[in-house]
Amino acid sequence: MAASETAKDSALRHAFGNVLSFFILVLIGVLAFSIRLFSVIKYESVIHEFDPYFNYRVTQFLTKNGIYDFWNWFDDRTWYPLGRVIGGTVYPGLTLTAGTLWWILNSLNIPLSVETVCVFTAPIFSSIAAWATYLLTKEVKGTGAGLTAAALLAMVPSYISRSVAGSYDNEAVAIFALIFTFYLYIKTLNTGSLFYATLNSIAYFYMVCSWGGYTFIINLIPMHVLLCIVTGRYSSRLYIAYAPLVVLGTLLASLVPVVGFNAVLTSEHFASFLVFIIIHVVALAYHIKGMLSPSMFKVAVTLVVSVGLVICCAVVAVLVALVASSPTKGWSGRSLSLLDPTYASKYIPIIASVSEHQPPTWPSYFMDINVLAFLVPAGIIACFLPLSDASSFVVLYIVTSVYFSGVMVRLMLVLAPAACIMSGIALSEAFAVFTRSIKFQLPSLSGDSQVDAGNSDSGSAATTQTEAVKADKIEESAKERPSRKNKKKEKETVEKPSVKSRIEKRLLVLPLESSVIALLLLVLLGAFYVVHCVWAAAEAYSAPSIVLTSHSHDGLHVFDDFREAYAWLSHNTEVDDKVASWWDYGYQTTAMANRTVIVDNNTWNNTHIATVGTAMSSPEKAAWEIFDSLDVKYVLVVFGGLVGYPSDDINKFLWMVRIGGGVFPHIKEPDYLRDGQYRIDSQATPTMLNCLMYKLSYYRFVETDGKAFDRVRQTEIGKKHFKLTHFEEVFTTHHWMVRIYKLKPPKNRIRGKTKKSKS
Amino acid sequence: MAMSTTPTLLLFLLILPSAILSSDPDSSIVSELLHLQSQSKSGLIHLSDHLLRRLLHPSSAPRPFSLLIFFDAQQLHDKTELRLKHLKSEFSLLATSFIQNNPSDPNIFFADIEFKESQSSFALFGVQALPHIRLVGPEAKDPKSDSIQMDSNDFSNLAESMAQFVESKTGLTVGPIHRPPMLSKTQIGLLVLAFFISLPFLVKRVLSGETLLHDWRVWLSGAVSVYFFSVSGAMHNIIRKMPMFLADREDPSKLVFFYQGSGMQLGAEGFAVGFLYSIVGIMLAFVTHLLVRVRNVTVQRFVMVVVLLVSFWAVKKVVFLDNWKTGYGIHAYWPSRWT
Repeated sequence: MAASETAKDSALRHAFGNVLSFFILVLIGVLAFSIRLFSVIKYESVIHEFDPYFNYRVTQFLTKNGIYDFWNWFDDRTWYPLGRVIGGTVYPGLTLTAGTLWWILNSLNIPLSVETVCVFTAPIFSSIAAWATYLLTKEVKGTGAGLTAAALLAMVPSYISRSVAGSYDNEAVAIFALIFTFYLYIKTLNTGSLFYATLNSIAYFYMVCSWGGYTFIINLIPMHVLLCIVTGRYSSRLYIAYAPLVVLGTLLASLVPVVGFNAVLTSEHFASFLVFIIIHVVALAYHIKGMLSPSMFKVAVTLVVSVGLVICCAVVAVLVALVASSPTKGWSGRSLSLLDPTYASKYIPIIASVSEHQPPTWPSYFMDINVLAFLVPAGIIACFLPLSDASSFVVLYIVTSVYFSGVMVRLMLVLAPAACIMSGIALSEAFAVFTRSIKFQLPSLSGDSQVDAGNSDSGSAATTQTEAVKADKIEESAKERPSRKNKKKEKETVEKPSVKSRIEKRLLVLPLESSVIALLLLVLLGAFYVVHCVWAAAEAYSAPSIVLTSHSHDGLHVFDDFREAYAWLSHNTEVDDKVASWWDYGYQTTAMANRTVIVDNNTWNNTHIATVGTAMSSPEKAAWEIFDSLDVKYVLVVFGGLVGYPSDDINKFLWMVRIGGGVFPHIKEPDYLRDGQYRIDSQATPTMLNCLMYKLSYYRFVETDGKAFDRVRQTEIGKKHFKLTHFEEVFTTHHWMVRIYKLKPPKNRIRGKTKKSKS
Repeated sequence: MAMSTTPTLLLFLLILPSAILSSDPDSSIVSELLHLQSQSKSGLIHLSDHLLRRLLHPSSAPRPFSLLIFFDAQQLHDKTELRLKHLKSEFSLLATSFIQNNPSDPNIFFADIEFKESQSSFALFGVQALPHIRLVGPEAKDPKSDSIQMDSNDFSNLAESMAQFVESKTGLTVGPIHRPPMLSKTQIGLLVLAFFISLPFLVKRVLSGETLLHDWRVWLSGAVSVYFFSVSGAMHNIIRKMPMFLADREDPSKLVFFYQGSGMQLGAEGFAVGFLYSIVGIMLAFVTHLLVRVRNVTVQRFVMVVVLLVSFWAVKKVVFLDNWKTGYGIHAYWPSRWT
């Protein structure tokens, strides 16, 4: 009678807990989505920055022409006259995802534009990523930790920076794919089910489709498998989790055009094959161990180990030979710069020069994961008490990702989910301990709780505190998991400590008042995290950089010059006209103005970029000839001198000179520098004052204020009054931020010359 | 005794009359340079003002050799951002490699010149900033305008790129750079031997499951220390070769441990904050997993107070330092405030 009542009671509590966590998850989803809407509310629903414009354009093409045309798309609007094979050079995951979303919405008669779908793809996937985090952490440490981790991930600034509404880039979906692949791997590891193993391969395929960061997965999982084998944790579940992933995953990965045979040929993938061989040797060893008597096994083990070692040595030798025969020792520069942090700074200036590839300093961690940085060590320690297959995986994940984030600030994004999982575990364990201490020691309840502690094993029924529910759930899940497993031996070993810990748990409390203070401080820490995240989302990461705003004493100013210029181009030029600009504006020009560009942000052809750089650094006539040979009709320059927009073309000009000079040696950087200093005032060199970029930027600038004072460089310009001979100004935007020039037709000049020669 | 004196004597006999009579200035100066080169361990010729004047005398052009000069200043060696020491060692590596690869080819000489001794030579070349490496070709008459300065790109990538520069400007072949190996051959042999001897023991221990690898405490401390290492920005310090601390510009006796500005950090600063980052989590884990098992309530209470105070202080300190360093004040988002 009493037994059935308690069973009923616990079932009720279980159901209540499930409903509660479902609602918490819904709220977390809403939170993750809505915290990313600041950019839409403060600015408008618009695609951000540069790369997202390319993705947007590809998505538009996909929705208009269908998947087969997308797959075979040769884009002649960019890299004129070379063009670019888009279908074979992009990671299609993001585009296909947004395209599918759009298609579903449209077939449900919800007529959203492609742009709207693209803008909101990232926030939607952040919500899904938070739920995936819940699933992953739940597999590791139970529901309570899962919910906490999901809530933390929903608003971690590092992830927000890449997934605000409008930031339509690969990382937006890739982080979800990353977490979900890890979840399915852990799930397979915990259950040993082939169903999840297959799902895992498919999730891995989605990740490969989405982002080049998939190499992190295909190296991390083998590392974990190897770790399990070395520490004597091999099991058939491990085999099922790993072997199908390598076989199916590699086959699926090679279906993605941009990866193709790289999936078996480059050494980023070799680790997985090596571990694949090792796990088979180990599986064989365990199989033989099970069949033979101990004495026979000793004989066999020498045989197997020696054969295995020989095979391994042979494979290693082949791999080493393969790796050594390629110029970069088989590793691409980016990966090498991760392993040897000083590699990039020594050998690859292009990688070293990108700001995303810089090593972070300590404030970056505080900015990007905030108070999680304090909680992670506690999470790591909690994962070791006790160590399971799943918790060892998340430990490996945090350790590798934190190391890589130390090399490259961009990889902070991969660290963020791991930090959330670890902090979720730490917070949940701490809350469990402190609330338990309060619950069992509250003066009014002390009598009851002692009685409860005496006869009930799952705590008092009187309280409905969520934390208590969470704590119970951890126990329950620990109880349930082994029961799913088939092997009795494992069941016993896992159940024993959990029973033991339950007996001890009644006594494991801290003093009441200090628990209350600790709890308050933890809540305060969490509150600080929320404040920081909202601040980061609202102020640091929401600017779309296509529309600029500034706040001055007389109110808000909006600078919408970029779209003004692109709109002018699309309305006032011929469809097939070619527009030359520095590569930064290539994606935007093709996406927004629909005009052919010479170079864009893909930067795959250095010579082509150098040609444009040379033209910009040459005097007018030479530049005109270069542009004319490329069929260019219009030249677009970005100029911030009037409004003080610092990242304009004059500031990027030295890069144009350097890149141009790298291919065309007659462009020499010292010609543009006065005593090693880059200046545009009266001290500037004549080469500088006569180059095309200077002239196009400062043409008629003196008419604005009479002095031609450049607000970015904080100086008056060197040459104020000049005329253009080979170019004519056709359009300048409201704030002079974008200026468009047309190449003058050559006829006049030739006629003039011929006239002269005749006379 | 006699054996050792004869070559020098011979050299003297060779140099002396030629220097006095200057009958064949080219060959005499080449042999003098060869002599100086053989005397220096690094293969670098140390130039003085006098020697340089003679070498670069306009009448001497065209010379039968080029000269690659490294401009050095001892007093700047401790400025890590200039990397003078490192560049000089790379430069002498280039010199020794060239001499080793082309033993009988005096077409180029590698030389260094010290700022303190030869300020006028620095002025002669118009050297304003270091590091500075200059190639004086055989045809060069005016040291300032006819010589070629090595671009910073060319020496940023160490001896190999310097060699490329030399090869492209002079048409000489430098050949492979001979870097001294990290471990000598005997050391490698011993290590391999030790590895093979220990292999059976290792295999046995792995099979029986008794290695350090099976101790979770090792893994735990390893994981936490990697975390500490990374969040302290140590990788940044290694890549950028940041010093642990700087001397104050205004008052050299004072040391600066914290650098204001988010793009850069000093070594000690990173480790201090990394320690603060890690200590809070470690103490939290200590409280939730170890302290709860302590039976004495007074001990628990005392430890809790200490832990709470230290954690609170650490978090507060990091927030303060972050605001000070980056200049961003983190505040609640309140729309009415800035529209």
